[in-house]
Amino acid sequence: MVRFEDVALRYGNGPEILKHISLHFDPGSYHFLVGASGAGKSSLLRMMYLAQRPSSGKVALFGKDVAGLSRRETALLRRQIGVVFQDFRLLDHLTARENVALPLRISGDTDSRRDKDVEELLTWVGLADHMDALPPTLSGGQQQRVAIARAVIARPSLLLADEPTGNLDDRMAVRLLYLFEELNKIGTTVVIATHNEALVERFHHPVTRISDGQVRTVEATAQGEDNSPAGAADLAAGLGANAGLESS
Amino acid sequence: MPLDHDASGRYLPLLVAIMVYLAALALAGAMVANKLAVRWDRGLAGALTVQLPPAAAGSEDSDDPVLQGVADLLAETEGVVSVEVMHTGAIAALLEPWLGDTALIGDLPLPRLIAVTVDPEAPPDLTALRRAVLSIAPGSLVDDHQRWLSHLLDLARAVEIMAAVVVALVVLAAAIMVAFVTRMGLAAHDQAIELLHLIGAQDSYVARQFQNHSLSLGLRGGLIGLLCALPTLYLARYLLERVESDLLPDLSLRPYEWSLLVLLPVASALVTMVTARITVLRTLARLP
Repeated sequence: MVRFEDVALRYGNGPEILKHISLHFDPGSYHFLVGASGAGKSSLLRMMYLAQRPSSGKVALFGKDVAGLSRRETALLRRQIGVVFQDFRLLDHLTARENVALPLRISGDTDSRRDKDVEELLTWVGLADHMDALPPTLSGGQQQRVAIARAVIARPSLLLADEPTGNLDDRMAVRLLYLFEELNKIGTTVVIATHNEALVERFHHPVTRISDGQVRTVEATAQGEDNSPAGAADLAAGLGANAGLESS
Repeated sequence: MPLDHDASGRYLPLLVAIMVYLAALALAGAMVANKLAVRWDRGLAGALTVQLPPAAAGSEDSDDPVLQGVADLLAETEGVVSVEVMHTGAIAALLEPWLGDTALIGDLPLPRLIAVTVDPEAPPDLTALRRAVLSIAPGSLVDDHQRWLSHLLDLARAVEIMAAVVVALVVLAAAIMVAFVTRMGLAAHDQAIELLHLIGAQDSYVARQFQNHSLSLGLRGGLIGLLCALPTLYLARYLLERVESDLLPDLSLRPYEWSLLVLLPVASALVTMVTARITVLRTLARLP
């Protein structure tokens, strides 16, 4: 699903932000990327969601070397990737509902049943009363939930999240990570960058530690028990079914 | 993208309106110059003027054997359709608007003129005709107006070319302006554009938003420019008609010429749309 081979990244003529990165995430896996602020987690994710090309080395997504992709192929590949940005990146002139529906609109999915998915998802993340609110009128945590809903609405094959729980209270953070877990169970590969070690320990998934721009350790953790909150599995399965995917 | 809230939305229609206004005047000027050239060409085609030196003082045209001889020669020449000897009174009448009192004109040594109509399909041999006229009336001039006409036609063509150059420059200036405004829009919305890309939008999706926005602004500006140009053309026509001179152009346009003017807003909308699309696609091609 994601393969990095001796990848390095530098911005302009600056120093290397990332160096000698080699890693491999299997399809359907769930990974945490942890490291201190400035360690290079976000830069690594940027290469995964094709916002940045490596300075050297090879990045392959879905079995394709991204260096050889045309612009059209790149766009089509991005549609299979859901991203929760650290700074949310919501469009201020669109309502929460429209922001969430944006990936569907871009991919040309005009199925009216998708409106129901959008509403259901927004309800699940606790924004039933804010569907028609503009992002500037929402709190940081509410904006983050809209961003998360937008990332998962098109049921991506690869879900990348950069500090997705940074603005959420613990209860909502856990609730959303369970949603990611349920999506993972039906086949979505999930990669979450966070500095919240306590949250990472709670979910028992492989952890890739990054410091000073290098992968230091990859820790495989045992699968924990399923404590998914009610409705997370149904919601994830619903998204998958509507996307024409089967639960694994 | 919220392009409607951009500053470009306020200024672009105004700038396009000015461009279309100038283009409409230039285009109307080119069409009028073309009509004028055609009118002059047709008016003088098949016409010759034979000019004889002034007669001795006190002699009458009817008594002048040289004048009669030349008129007879012309009448017998193959390809000549009609010959009209212009008598002193007729010549004086032609000069009266410029020189005033006819009585005084009669004292001037005026040349004697013969207006000749020739068959445009089979005109006489002009060189032979000149030679024959000169043998009867030395110092005469057989003028087929071609030199004068060619200068006038050159002038009319030059006006047409200048008008075409003005239209081309207006289109170029409009394209540069739209490209600049579009780049400003791209810079203002760079984060939204990056986001759209990252969630899978193709370049054409982003370009479509800018091109549709520019199409709307260009059409609006074009209509405003045309609506301003029409009263200007009407005023120019009114002022020219008041002069009542055959030499000045007639500003009345034919239906197809009006349709060309009406197409200007459509053309301006297309120019702004295509320019915006090309600018966006070229700019986005530089993004990863």
